[in-house]
Amino acid sequence: MVKSNQKEFRKRDFFYLVPLWLLSLIVPDADDLYSYRSKEFKRRELYYLGALLLLPLIWPDPHLHHLMVLAGIYAILALGLSLFLGYAGQISLGHAAFFGIGTYTTAILTTRYAFPPFLAFWASAFVAAIVAYLIGRPILKLKGYFLALATLGFGEIFLVIVSESQSLTGGVIGIFGIPWFSIGGFSFDTYLKQYYLTWGVLLGLFLFSKNLVRSKLGRALLAVASGEDAAASIGINVAQVKIGVFVTSAAFAGFAGSLFACIMSTANPEAFGLNLSVLIVMMVILGGMGNLYGPVFGSVLLTYLMDILSRYQEWSLPIYGVILILLLIFFPDGIGTRLGIRLIYLIGYWAKKKKRDEGKP
Amino acid sequence: MSILIVEEITKEYDGLRALERVSLQVEKGTIKGLTGPNGAGKSTLFHLISGMERPDFGKIYFKGKEITFLKPHEISALGVGRTFQTVQSFGNMTVVENIMAGMHLRLRGGLISSGLWLPWVRRTEKEALKEAKEILDHLGLLGRWKSPASQLPFGKQKLLEFGRALATKPELILLDEPASGLTPAEVQQLSGRICQLKKDGTTLFVVEHHMGMVMEIADEVAVLDNGKLIAEGPPDVVRSDSKVIEAYLKGKKANA
Repeated sequence: MVKSNQKEFRKRDFFYLVPLWLLSLIVPDADDLYSYRSKEFKRRELYYLGALLLLPLIWPDPHLHHLMVLAGIYAILALGLSLFLGYAGQISLGHAAFFGIGTYTTAILTTRYAFPPFLAFWASAFVAAIVAYLIGRPILKLKGYFLALATLGFGEIFLVIVSESQSLTGGVIGIFGIPWFSIGGFSFDTYLKQYYLTWGVLLGLFLFSKNLVRSKLGRALLAVASGEDAAASIGINVAQVKIGVFVTSAAFAGFAGSLFACIMSTANPEAFGLNLSVLIVMMVILGGMGNLYGPVFGSVLLTYLMDILSRYQEWSLPIYGVILILLLIFFPDGIGTRLGIRLIYLIGYWAKKKKRDEGKP
Repeated sequence: MSILIVEEITKEYDGLRALERVSLQVEKGTIKGLTGPNGAGKSTLFHLISGMERPDFGKIYFKGKEITFLKPHEISALGVGRTFQTVQSFGNMTVVENIMAGMHLRLRGGLISSGLWLPWVRRTEKEALKEAKEILDHLGLLGRWKSPASQLPFGKQKLLEFGRALATKPELILLDEPASGLTPAEVQQLSGRICQLKKDGTTLFVVEHHMGMVMEIADEVAVLDNGKLIAEGPPDVVRSDSKVIEAYLKGKKANA
């Protein structure tokens, strides 16, 4: 036992180390992770939509509504990242920064310049996209771990800038009193209304992404992930595709950030750290890459998991880490991917094992 | 008329000369073969022509336009298609999507119009799917058009990559070892397809390590050894060239 180190080691550190280590195991052999899924719309998807619309009415618990609002915001973030990570095969550990840019753009525009939230919503995505373009031009030339480090660095720089430039962002204390989201006088002031707002935006962006991935651009993304030389040999401009998807996913994060600002009514730098960046990446990976339902499913799952575990206070993060490890071991393709087949396989495995054990003298 | 002109191309890797003052021309509408022992610089030459790498010296012209320092996707857009020595089909897509990816430049749709699935995007996708199925039918892969490309056997994946290059509608197509790893029957089929392409007016430039298929179908053959062009001419003449025989024998001895 090393006693002198015990004080410095925080339980929270598991939260950073475990997912990062797992990430390092998963990212390199990306080739196996993408599997084809039907890209056409199906009737089944209408049932999902109906369930989502009715859920808060059937279950009128404000706490649940609030959690679903948070999950919806995370899902928008994860959806954007899944285009970049799951489809184009690039890694970003600085996505929380774009989320933060969205939040602060809305916060500053609505509190200082009295912008209507609806305009600030679009402005947030626009600002996030422009920053992504400027950042992406140099750093998207990097690959793999180097890209991960560069984006991670960008996230940290963003945090420093936000907490130091007090006149603009209010420093560590942040900005308060951001108005509710409203369209033409209709204010989204209850959890129920916010639920429909968030999931409505998510639905719109989901349809957009779904169309995107079944078009020629979706094929270009997958081609870039599969092999850049091969992609270039059929006339795909690899650099342009990468920057395009980076900007798109940043715009998604900007939308999510703007909603977050209006719903939380505060913006402060603590929310946009590496913590959140890793969380989004985990949502995409756990949900399943190369699949648009995956990130949505992953974000709902992780939001609930964190809420349930928060009861166990200081034990919550270690338990959380263990659950993540178990999920990644037993569902390496993500939970949204081939869930049925995976379960059948596991049950079959255990059945066989039991038989084998019984057969032993 | 020469569709491709390579002039005095030199390429070095850390002092090792991969290619030394190689000049050759490919005539429009013909099949040109390129052979040579291992490490002769055949693949390097292909990488230089398709823009994956840049030469230290020399120039490359395609249809009279200099392409030496253009980027790979720009060269492809001009009408140069290629396949790779190691199979590089897109394993994360279905078979038909691989072919449709090859049509990338011919399809309409930007970021916003694709995301909103506007009418012209819908139409262009529908037409692309139809055309891709025709290409697959031609290659005999239509039966598996919906399965992931990574699940095809090796030979079929090579064929798929060939189809993907064809889908770009190239005027010149570079085939890097198209016959390696194929069964004799598949090689037969492949030669048939290559000859058919030539009849349709496409120019082909084929690298082959073994002198098998190329000698049968090529109109002209060039032989590289140690980065230098040692012979060029019709297959029969090249086959009996003393330098060529020596180069291949030397390789055999070194292997033994």
